[in-house]
Amino acid sequence: MGSRYLLRRILQAMLTIAGIVVLNFILFRAMPGSPERMSHNPNQSAAARADLRARWGLDQPLFPDQFARYISTTLQGDLGQSYKYKGQDVTEVIANRVWPTIILFGLGELIAIAVGLVLGAYSGWKRGGVVDYAGNGASLILYSMPYFLLGMILLVIFATALGWFPTAGMFTLGETYSSFSDQLLDFAHHLVLPLAAVSLGLIGQYSILMRSSVIETRSEDYITTATAKGLSESRVLRGHAVPNALLPTVSLIGINLGFIIAGAITVEVVFSWPGLGTLTQEALEARDYPVLQAIFLILAVTVVFANLVADIVYGRLDPRVRT
Amino acid sequence: MRSPVRRRLTRVLVALGLISLIALPAAAPVGAADPVVLRVGTVQDLDAMNPYLTEYYVGWEVFGLNYQGLVDFGLNAEPIGGFAKSWTQDGNTWTFKIDPDLKWSDGTPATSEDARWTLQKLLDIQKGDRGYVGVGYLDLYLTYAAVNSVSAPDPQTLVLTTDYPNTQILTSYLPILPKHIWEKRDINTDANKVPVVGTGPYQAVEWKTGEYVRMVRNPNYQGPTPKSYQDETFIQFFKDEGAMTEALKAGDIDYARNVTSDQFDSLKSQPNVVVAESTVAAEANAFTHLVFNTHAPIKDGGSSTSAVRDVAFRDALGYAIDKPALVDKVLGGHGVVGSTIIPPAMSGGLWHLDPPNVRTFDLDVARQKLDAAGYKLDASGKRLDHEGKPINLKMVVPSSSTTYSQSAEFISAWWKEIGVGVTVQSLDPDAVSALQKPPEADPPGKASYDVVIWNWAGDVDPNSLLKNATTDAIKSGSSDSFYSNPRYDELFALQGKENDQAKRKTEIDEMQQLLYDDAPYHVLFYDAALSAWRTDKFGGWPLSPETGGLPFFAYGTAGYDYLTAPQAAAPSAAASAAASAAASPGSSEAAVVATAAPSAPPASSSTSGSGNSLLLVVGIILVIVAVVAVVGLSRRRSAAGEEE
Amino acid sequence: MSASPVLLEPTGGRTRRWTTRAVGWRSFLSRLLHRPEGAIGVAIIVFFAVLALAPGIFVGPLETVTNSSGKRLEPPSLQHLLGTDNLGRDVLNLTVHGARISMLIGLLATVVTLVIGALLGIVSGFVGGRTDTVIMRITDFFLVLPTFVLALIIAPIVLDIIGTGEILGIRTTLFVIVIVIGITSWATTARIIRSQTMSVKERAFIDRARVIGSGPWRMMRVHILPNVTGLIVANAVLIFAGAILTETTLAFIGLGDPFAPSWGQILGASQDAGAPGLGAWWWYVSPGVCIVLVVLAFTLIGGALDDLLNPKARRRR
Repeated sequence: MGSRYLLRRILQAMLTIAGIVVLNFILFRAMPGSPERMSHNPNQSAAARADLRARWGLDQPLFPDQFARYISTTLQGDLGQSYKYKGQDVTEVIANRVWPTIILFGLGELIAIAVGLVLGAYSGWKRGGVVDYAGNGASLILYSMPYFLLGMILLVIFATALGWFPTAGMFTLGETYSSFSDQLLDFAHHLVLPLAAVSLGLIGQYSILMRSSVIETRSEDYITTATAKGLSESRVLRGHAVPNALLPTVSLIGINLGFIIAGAITVEVVFSWPGLGTLTQEALEARDYPVLQAIFLILAVTVVFANLVADIVYGRLDPRVRT
Repeated sequence: MRSPVRRRLTRVLVALGLISLIALPAAAPVGAADPVVLRVGTVQDLDAMNPYLTEYYVGWEVFGLNYQGLVDFGLNAEPIGGFAKSWTQDGNTWTFKIDPDLKWSDGTPATSEDARWTLQKLLDIQKGDRGYVGVGYLDLYLTYAAVNSVSAPDPQTLVLTTDYPNTQILTSYLPILPKHIWEKRDINTDANKVPVVGTGPYQAVEWKTGEYVRMVRNPNYQGPTPKSYQDETFIQFFKDEGAMTEALKAGDIDYARNVTSDQFDSLKSQPNVVVAESTVAAEANAFTHLVFNTHAPIKDGGSSTSAVRDVAFRDALGYAIDKPALVDKVLGGHGVVGSTIIPPAMSGGLWHLDPPNVRTFDLDVARQKLDAAGYKLDASGKRLDHEGKPINLKMVVPSSSTTYSQSAEFISAWWKEIGVGVTVQSLDPDAVSALQKPPEADPPGKASYDVVIWNWAGDVDPNSLLKNATTDAIKSGSSDSFYSNPRYDELFALQGKENDQAKRKTEIDEMQQLLYDDAPYHVLFYDAALSAWRTDKFGGWPLSPETGGLPFFAYGTAGYDYLTAPQAAAPSAAASAAASAAASPGSSEAAVVATAAPSAPPASSSTSGSGNSLLLVVGIILVIVAVVAVVGLSRRRSAAGEEE
Repeated sequence: MSASPVLLEPTGGRTRRWTTRAVGWRSFLSRLLHRPEGAIGVAIIVFFAVLALAPGIFVGPLETVTNSSGKRLEPPSLQHLLGTDNLGRDVLNLTVHGARISMLIGLLATVVTLVIGALLGIVSGFVGGRTDTVIMRITDFFLVLPTFVLALIIAPIVLDIIGTGEILGIRTTLFVIVIVIGITSWATTARIIRSQTMSVKERAFIDRARVIGSGPWRMMRVHILPNVTGLIVANAVLIFAGAILTETTLAFIGLGDPFAPSWGQILGASQDAGAPGLGAWWWYVSPGVCIVLVVLAFTLIGGALDDLLNPKARRRR
């Protein structure tokens, strides 16, 4: 793969990230109420307020002083302090909540891809089978449903009514585990429903993708030839249909990342899963702007990065994209 | 031909099946000598571990467990030994005695030097540029008590001197911090990371923000009971009351604070659950009100009409508020009709005044009064103010609770009936706070509103509530009505120094009457606090106050010391029933419903909803199958139509 | 380049501008309705549109906490077909009125998104060169942003700028949601319109027009626009669906207006009140089903339109 292509993509990504940082700065300063609202104390004296402004650098002109200061602190990884969790750094607040989200959505995507591709392949090959209709219909409905609605339904049926799974959280609180596997079991028990919600929501896109790829591949001339020659179905699938579907799947993963964020937030809220999603909702409720913006920054950068990786992988896989 | 794909599919399904098999029957693992764990649920999320930085009830509960105040609160909010075991007052001098065996939770001896250091720190910061400590709530207690110096003549003695004799120090929240840890920290900004070192009954060792705090027993605690029952206390933060109630039903938590009235009703029939409605504890010591912007005209801001500055107008509107209906419809009946700004729950009804001239709900009287005050109806049925403008009030409510927006809907409907237009807007609490700042405050605001519906929380002492209607409060930014009355200010100064309770009561009564007559506020109601707890893991649930109160989130954290092992059914119910029968005047009894049934399987929902839910489940599945079939078939046909 | 069945070529003169060569709009519509998914989709949309236009005719005025007609949390019965919520309001009443709010927000948001997206897409595709690069950069930037979180941050800012009250009888909070959705969704549309514009640009008649001396704006309006309209309509359908989903999610999170309940707001309120745990399924299933139906309908129509406009799926077998 051409290194010029690689370089160009990386440069584009950096430019985008720069744009995001600038946008973040503008948003931050346009916020209703300034950082001074950190203090809700009605008895604050004028001198104290001036001191706070000086400490935040708000008494300096917007450009370039405040902007430069913002850039330098951000690059150093200092994203400010939370309004709500007083005395705590934003990075700290966020760091505590990242892993649950990664686990939930990482696993969710994997399952969705695996199951989706398989389902799509099956229904694509067996055009018109029960799996095809059911899969199509189910995909459409799942696609039309807001993520959290799916979560609410699963919760009501399996947790509240049937009682098979817990209704909230990641672990049972206050439990003492006699072994690591017990703890893992508890975790898995809590993970099933939210994972199901996430996977079901994502399956549709991958299965539709795979299905049309298989259909397209299947009608190609060389497939007819290959089958006539006696090649087995699965070889044909594996050799041609799957690689053809891989390309758009890769880019779909990248694009998906941006779109599943809304779903992430709401699914986590429904299940009280202690990840970035619930943190976002809490920060919104508490109008904890530093945390909100940090989340925005981190998510945006992650999406840019993911898209970059997807593009590079795409470029690797598809010889047509090499300029 | 089908086999390879099918095989793959089956493999995937089997794998998923195996995973679910493992996940399904996960029983709660319980070991041999497990610590006794108390789990308390609340919807409020802890914001800070540093007592001087927290702004929430739950933060006060946590620091009440971590630390001891100089003087603590007993079950009935009476002063009991905290950091200091005993005290004497001689005019302006207070002498506190500290137990020589008192130790911090890390084993370091705790002495008067810790107390002296803490209080002196507060005083120093107050005198400095900053002027207030942390978020500025706790150091105010030193101001109310007029403390001017603190010294530690020996390790067991602390001496305070005040500007004038008063007993405010006995009703103060002043958590004493360990000097050997905090002298390197900035009390105004430090996060107080776990593990915490304190002299309170439990210290925090783990804090997952947004999830829970885990606190373990302090081996060196000196408390009223020999040893409290639970080894650990968890405080768990829930997203909403629904999740918390579910957790209580399932036995995942033992105490649920502030459930909604619907959940309260649904919990009444749960086995092993006690529900309690208190009109004297916690949130009941607060008043939800409607406040008018009585500030003089402000350029580019202020009220939209001069009418809100007219007592006659405000008084008339007071007759167009059906408070009993609000309590019934908005609170589900769980509350007390409001009158004056000192809630009856405060100090057992000591300070509350029932005004003799109570306004009743009567739209005709309201109309008459408006006519008499010169607010005539125009052709389209709207009232005109004295400048001839149609009156349309801007009503702002914070979005933090539906109580406010629902009350606003009712009130605006009633006022519209008498010709006063209302536009309601819901903003987040910070925005409402900022909105309520007048030009005199720092930073200045425009105060662009006519009416706000919100809530003020009370204290053990009426001082903090009375302060908000003083003229000084306008400049300091804590006044929401901008009420200014020299006689009220005079009385405020007098009662602050008054040691004779009877005289103080007379002064405060006059203040309450002034406010009631001038009506910058219309106090709508005093909320009732609704909580529930389980009896199958713990017993001996105390009430704070002992008549009609609640175990936790009371004035102090004494309740945590009284829990015992689970008792055989009835005693807790009987005790509280007896207590409620002996209810003192001014405080209503707590409605307690307890069932003595043996424990039911905790995981299933035991309300009548479960039968319906199953039906619903079947119904949904049928509908889904039907729609899927239709949609799937329709796509098929069109796809077939595509390829000829 | 595949032949678009709805290619419109001006056949001379201002009055006859819209005469089509290939297929007319009417037969287009009938072709849409002939496909089962198109028919189902249109039927559902029409049903909800009728409800949305005049909800008062069907269920009376919006029930508020002051004139609630039933007791709290009543299950469905003959008097209350969909039960009541925790304030005693009839859920059927709320849901039908919610149709109005949700559809209105969807419509307005779609319009805003289309105007911005189509404008930038057409200009960018037609003018090309530097302008194109700049606009595409901005578009790509917006495509990458996590727009939902952006919406969460922007909403309070916009609310602050616009202020309070009502505009044309609609609460400003609704406008805020519309603006926020518009700001965050235009990028995909711009992209799609741009590609189509670029392909249309290559048509012969464009060169003819240019030779005659038409100005760029006129050409864009007279020649390009009619030929991308089909695509805009197909896109609009999907944007509408997305807008409803976004609004639902925003309202669920807490950015809804309790005084103008949309379906998402009703869902959020039911969740806050603990409806799932209390067993009050009718409260959240009603708006939930409506949302799914409407979005499904739009998706079906969008799929059908897509097939009609891009017959790439026509295969030999």
